Parts: sequence; structure tokens; C-alpha cells
Amino acid sequence: MEKYDVAIIGGGSAGLAALKQLSTLGKQAVLLEAGKKVGVKNISGGILYSKKPNKGRVYNVEDIYGQNFVNEAPLQRKITKYLLHATSKDKVFSMDLTAAHEYQSNFGYSVLMNDLNAWFAQSADESAQKCGGGIVPGVHVNNISWDDEKERTIIQTDELDEFQVKAVIAADGVNSEVAQITRARPKFSAVQLYQGVKAIVKLPEDIINETFAIGADDGEAHLFAGDITLNHLGGGFLYTNRDTLSVGAVYHFDSLLDSPIEPNTLLDALLKNPMITELIKDEVPVRGKIDKTLEKEKQMQIRFAVTKLIKTWYEIRDVYLSSSRRKELIKTGKFNSEDEIKSKLSETREKMSSQYGIQFKTDYVEDEYGAKLIPDGKRCRMKKPYHKNVLFVGDAAGRGVFVGPRIEGLNVGIDDGVRAANAIARALEKNNFSQGYLGEYYTKSIEESPYTKDMKEIDKEYLKIFIDATKDVPKDILSAKHSLVLKLMSSGAIRSMAAKFVNVLGYERLLPVIESEESYVKVPTELAERSGKTISSSYTPSIPLLADRIAKLNYNDDKVSHIKVLNPNNDFMKKLVMLCPTKCYSEENGQVTIQHEGCIECGTCSEQTDWKHPRGEKGINYRYG
Amino acid sequence: MEPLNLAVIVKLEPDFSEGNVSYKPDGTLNRNETKSTLGPHSGIAAKAAFYAKVKYGAKISVCSMGPPWADIALQQAQQTCDADVLHLYSDRIFAGADTLATAETLKTGIEKMQGKMDIVFSGHRASDGETGQTGPQTAWKLGFTFIGNVISYDVNLEKRTVVAKCLLTLNGVPNVIEEIEAPLPVFLTIDPSYKSNFTTVSQRIAFEKYQKEAYERARNFKQSLKVFNIDELGVDKTLVGLAGSPTIVYQVERIPKGKATRQAEVFDGSNSEHIRKVVAKMREALSAMVIK
Repeated sequence: MEKYDVAIIGGGSAGLAALKQLSTLGKQAVLLEAGKKVGVKNISGGILYSKKPNKGRVYNVEDIYGQNFVNEAPLQRKITKYLLHATSKDKVFSMDLTAAHEYQSNFGYSVLMNDLNAWFAQSADESAQKCGGGIVPGVHVNNISWDDEKERTIIQTDELDEFQVKAVIAADGVNSEVAQITRARPKFSAVQLYQGVKAIVKLPEDIINETFAIGADDGEAHLFAGDITLNHLGGGFLYTNRDTLSVGAVYHFDSLLDSPIEPNTLLDALLKNPMITELIKDEVPVRGKIDKTLEKEKQMQIRFAVTKLIKTWYEIRDVYLSSSRRKELIKTGKFNSEDEIKSKLSETREKMSSQYGIQFKTDYVEDEYGAKLIPDGKRCRMKKPYHKNVLFVGDAAGRGVFVGPRIEGLNVGIDDGVRAANAIARALEKNNFSQGYLGEYYTKSIEESPYTKDMKEIDKEYLKIFIDATKDVPKDILSAKHSLVLKLMSSGAIRSMAAKFVNVLGYERLLPVIESEESYVKVPTELAERSGKTISSSYTPSIPLLADRIAKLNYNDDKVSHIKVLNPNNDFMKKLVMLCPTKCYSEENGQVTIQHEGCIECGTCSEQTDWKHPRGEKGINYRYG
Repeated sequence: MEPLNLAVIVKLEPDFSEGNVSYKPDGTLNRNETKSTLGPHSGIAAKAAFYAKVKYGAKISVCSMGPPWADIALQQAQQTCDADVLHLYSDRIFAGADTLATAETLKTGIEKMQGKMDIVFSGHRASDGETGQTGPQTAWKLGFTFIGNVISYDVNLEKRTVVAKCLLTLNGVPNVIEEIEAPLPVFLTIDPSYKSNFTTVSQRIAFEKYQKEAYERARNFKQSLKVFNIDELGVDKTLVGLAGSPTIVYQVERIPKGKATRQAEVFDGSNSEHIRKVVAKMREALSAMVIK
């Protein structure tokens, strides 16, 4: 049996940070990732932050991957403006939360996980190989067993011969199988989770710069609440990437269970909002109808030619409308000048319309649909994030910061990964992997993390920034109770006292008041109605059907289902018929059955099913994530 | 123990994927407008060679006979198998070669490669012509033991033998997997169902390492590429190209369409009325299948 020092299960940003840190400390570690490549299973909102807390320290990306991280990594855009919009039909009331976004922060960049994790992986793998380890993709861990007599931990997978390690880092995400194998924690329940769905909208770089009126490297984040929630607890977001937009909806999962609604309907509600409609608009080619009376072969030739032309047109246009790519291709000699690209583009366009009847209309283009469960650290962080010599990090440990508009997960997982790596490096030196020496040390380190503090307590400084941002909100919109609280909170001394009082009482008791229908739906809707600006939409976006969204996704089908329905007739399962983001469930004669082929592995159904990740390389492959 | 020395013979073929392929008005392939790529079966042969690279740290050379732009096939093969050396045999005299003349060129090229050759790999067939016999003919010319339809193999480095599993498909008989052990050197043609199987963590780490190296090498593939004209290759002019080809394709006829015997009705998937009709038909057919 092969022997390694450490196994890291899961190649998300937390697992990769752990690998990088262990390798930097000269320790041997292998990272096992179920996806065909690192990154293909990952999806996030997403913004990656680097934080500078007032008290204590956190491990940021640049601490692990080098101070040149910002210049080298495939980041999208630096978020320089952060807005919250209250919506009601065609009215929008906007509040600037940039100060809250910049609170204790070095930077926040919009990111796409597939590219970013691939970059993390390359850096971590290079370091790991120097220590005799590395990244092994396409491997699904199905069991961990302990042979106490021989003091060894054995990792079993669907794909490889079993092997032996001294310690394990579980970085297998919100639906952690390692947590189930080790029974370190129960599955997360609806009240502890959010369900997020996201669409990647394609939009050329220059058009983004123009639409949002921003510089080539700047980006914006927009949050939405109000009638776009369709009376559910949660909201929407839109982040600018380099040449795409991330548009998504995030909702308290228990609120969705209370009144089930299809997740894509919530996403559509967002896309139909006139403000967003205007932000995503682009010019889109529409294929002409092929004459069905023509010979079959001729029809096929036309179809192929049209596909080829549209592909070429997009390729040239993406270059033409991106200043950096334009310059690069002229520099490498692919084109001689900008005019040449321009004339080639208009030439192609002319050919499209004159030869094949392709027309152009105002619309938007969606490139990828995805979904994810998000753990709310306030409610579900593991108090003891270990079991024997297995340490849990990131989503697997239920750790994410959700405080009003402040949403952070990636940086929290990265911080955890480094702490777990440090704890294991220390244990390797003493060859002591006991719970007392390893697990408890790691727990202590996690407890010291400023992120843990953010999950446990209200931060009065942050509260002040948030209250300041809402100063233009007419107070009579709020209920008497909320209005009084806000009034009191405006005074520094009372706010300080109140925050202390709440923290003593237990932060989680206050959550139902903060995260209520009033704050997500009623107040924003009324606010928009009363004080919002009217925005009219210049076109009706053709929003794809769910079936078309799924058809665009890339799967490596597995004949065997990775999910087994346990109770086909219970209430939860019946609600999944609505709540599964890719409609994998259907009900017939009171019995719920699954068709797993379209599953995007979000885990919405995991609480009450026998839920495993697919075998190595199988299942969804996100292009953007 | 000497490291294994391998060669792969590959072919540049048209890319038949949608958006890349182009047809003439008469329905035949427009080769000028169609992109070229590494033949899919050649790709599988390169994948099989890569297995020995990962498992035994073998040295790999890839060669092809073709026009100067066939170097992209070599580049793609290098990206698949992390080849150390690339050979392109390119000369006007080689044009018009049938499989036997091609085999002569490839044989000469392989013999020119450094060191004693242990295994040569080729694809099962081509996607643009019935040239599957190039592999076996090259084997015959090299005087190597030939094993065809290989679906997996392993090398015993001490005994210097190869153990290969071959898929035998016979009409009317269930498929048979034959296991053959043969002393090196051997020539393997790789079946499309070939699969490399890496079962340990260390093999998988090596796989990732070589794959990365392959990517880097393929990016700068010209550094490993050597192009030979007929003089540099030193092959007998009468045995290659058109002159060395005993067979000539003198005419290509389109396969006449068979007469349809079944009655087909065309339904438009975007028309809900049509869909309703299809459902009704299916229901009818299904209810007829129920045994009463």
C-alpha cells in the first residue's frame, strides 16, 4: 500500500490553499478532486476578498500565493462600487454600500471559479510535487477507515488502490461526504442554508465598460431586494466580470421550503427587472429559417455554414470589443491594425445577412446556468471542526460570513485551509495526530480567526456603516419596532451598548428579526414604489427555458445515479419537484422519483436523500463556475 | 534496465466537427476550406503510448508523413503523449502514396530514430480513407511482431516482453478478448475502445506531471520537431510516393442510396400540434405492446 503524509479531499479554494500551505512548509500532501479537472465542479457568486481585520490576523490569498497575486491570477474586475437596489416593478431605489464593501478590506475582485481554481491548482501542484505530493483529479473518495493498532488511516476511492495517510483535510464542500463518513456533524438543515442559482451572461468587455461607465479594470457589484424576491427571503446579485456578468439569486432555503418556487423562476424575475435588462443587453444574431423543401444534404450544409459564420463573427467581435485582446493580437501579428479587425467584422456580418438571412436584434446571451448551496456560518459552523485526525475546512465545516450585504465564503475557506495546514505541519513534526494535539489545536486556531468572530457577534463598526448607508430611507416605511431600533442605533453610545447586549444575549436570537420578510421584501418594495427612479426597458429579453439552460451544460453522464431517494412520499421530497434547480425530481401517484442525468450537484436534496458526489470525472463540468 | 523506446505513427485528417467542415456543392468534402487536425485514431494511439510514459518513463517519438502543415498533427499528438521527438517526412515526391509506399517512408523514418525501437503504435484506421493497413504494413517492413486491436497492454521490463489484450470481433460469435505475450520489439495498433488504467496515487501524480510537461512541450513544439525531405530521410525513391505505389485510386463513386421501404412521416419538434400527434402515435404503439 502506498503511503503519503496528508490527504486533502476536495480541490476547491480551501483545499488548494491547504495544499499550497503544506507544500510551502515542506510537507508531503496529495489532493484528491472528483472533477475531471480542478475547478470544474466549483461555482461561486462570486467575489474574492482580501481582508485586514482591526484585531487578529487572517490568511489572505496573497499571503499564500505571493504578493504578486493580483497581477498574476485570472481575476475578473476589482469591485470599486457596491450598490444595493430596492425594486418594485419598473422602479428602483439605490443605496451606495461601497463603504460596507471596503470595510476592513484590502480588495475585492469578482472571480469565476473554474479559471481561478485552475490557477490556484497550478501553483499549489508545482509546490506539492517538490515535496513528493500533488493533485490527483478524477478521484472520488468513498471511505476513510482507521487501523488503530497499526496507527494508520486508509483512504478508499472509487478509482484507485487504497492508500495510507497520517492526517486528512476534508475540503469537500457544503455536502461533505467526509462529514457523513466520520459522523463529525449531521447534514445541514434548511434553516442553516441558502440556495443560490446563477447565470453567466456573455457581454463583450468594451460594452460592459460602456454600460456601467467604468474603466477597463474596474467592476461593480449590485444587490437587489424587493419585488424581485417574489415574496421569498433573499435577493439577487449582479457582478461584472471581464467579459461576462454573473447574475444570480440567493435565498434562505427554509423560506423556499415554506412556499416552494422554482429557482429558475427567481432568477428569471431578476433578469426581467428593467434595470437588469438594460445592464445585460447586447446585439445577438438570429438564424434565418432553412428552406425545408431543399435536399437534406443541402439543408445540413447551410446549417454547418451558418454555425461556422456565427462562430467566426463572435470570435472576431470578442477581439474587437476587448481593448486588451485587440492589442495582444495586433502585437502577435494575427492582425495588422484595429481597422483590419473592424473591416473583417463588418465583412463577416455582411456575409451573414446577405447570404444566409441572419438578422441581428437586441437581446442578451446566457452562457451557463448553475446552482449551489451556501452554508450560513452564523447558524451552522462546526464548533469542533475535526474528527480523529480529520480536519474540516470552508464550506465542509459550515463556515461562511453572511452579515446583511456582506457575503464572504472563499476567503474564509482559504483562511481555514491555511490554519488546518499549519496544525497538521505541527503534528507531523511531533508525529502526534491525537485529537488533543491536532484537533484541539486547530479548533483553537479557528476560534481565533476574525471570521469566526464575525459569525458569532455583531460588529458595531460595520453596523454603523450600514446604518449610515440607509440614511436616505424614509423612516416611516419601517414598522414602529424597526424604526425605533434604527433611531436608537443611530446614536454611537446606544449602538455600542445594544451590540454588546445582543452579543451577550446570543446573536442568533436576533436573526429572525433581521432576516425577515420585512427587510427582504416589504420595506424594499415600498421604498422603491415611493422613492424609486423609473427605469424603462428598451426590449424584452428572451429568457431561455430551463430545458435550454440544461442543454447548454456539459455533463459526463454516469449510468448509475449518485443520489438515492429514501422516502419517495415525504413532504420534503415532494417540494423538491419544485426546488431542484434542474428539475431532476418528478412525482407520479404520490411517489417522487429521480432522474439524475441533469443533476448539477448542488445538494438541494441532500438533507433527505442518500447523497454522494458522482464518481471521478462524472457529472457536471462547469465552464465558468 | 534500459528505458523503453517508443514511436507512434500518426496521420493528419480533416476535422469533421460542425463549424469546421466544409462541403462542395456536389456534396463532397472541400479540403481547402476544411480545417485539418490529428486523426482521432492517431490520437488514441498517442494516448496508448502515453500510458508507457507514465508507467515506465518511456521515451516517445512521434512521426508522420504529410504536407508541411501536418506539423499540427504532430503538435496535437505531442500534447497527448508528451513526445520527446517529432518527425515529419515531407517532400513532393511522397505525394500520391498508397499505404505500402507510406509504410516504406515511415519504416525508414523509424529506423532513423535514435536507439533500438521497442514498441511502435498506430491507430486502428483513418477517418478520411480506408488506410488501416498502413500500420500492419509498417510492422511487416520493420520485421516487428504485429498485434492488432489492442485494448490494453503492459510491459514486463525484466523479461522485455509486452502483454497485450486484444479485442476480437467475429461475426455471429460473442466478442473475445485475447491476451498475447510477445518479446519486444512489437508493433501495436490500438483499438478505439482502448483505455489506459492508472490505479495508484503515484501513477496518477506522474500522469499529471507528464501531462503538464506535454502541454508545455506542445506549446513550443517546433523545438522538438525535425522535418525530413527525401534526401535527408535517405529512402529509395522508387519505393515511395506515387512511384512506389502499386495501387491507385482512379475513381471515387458515391454510394447509391438504397430505396426506402418504410413509410416515414416528418414531424416538426417546435410545433405543438405535431408533438401531440407523436404522443398519440406512441400511446397507440405502446398499448398495442401490452399483452392482454
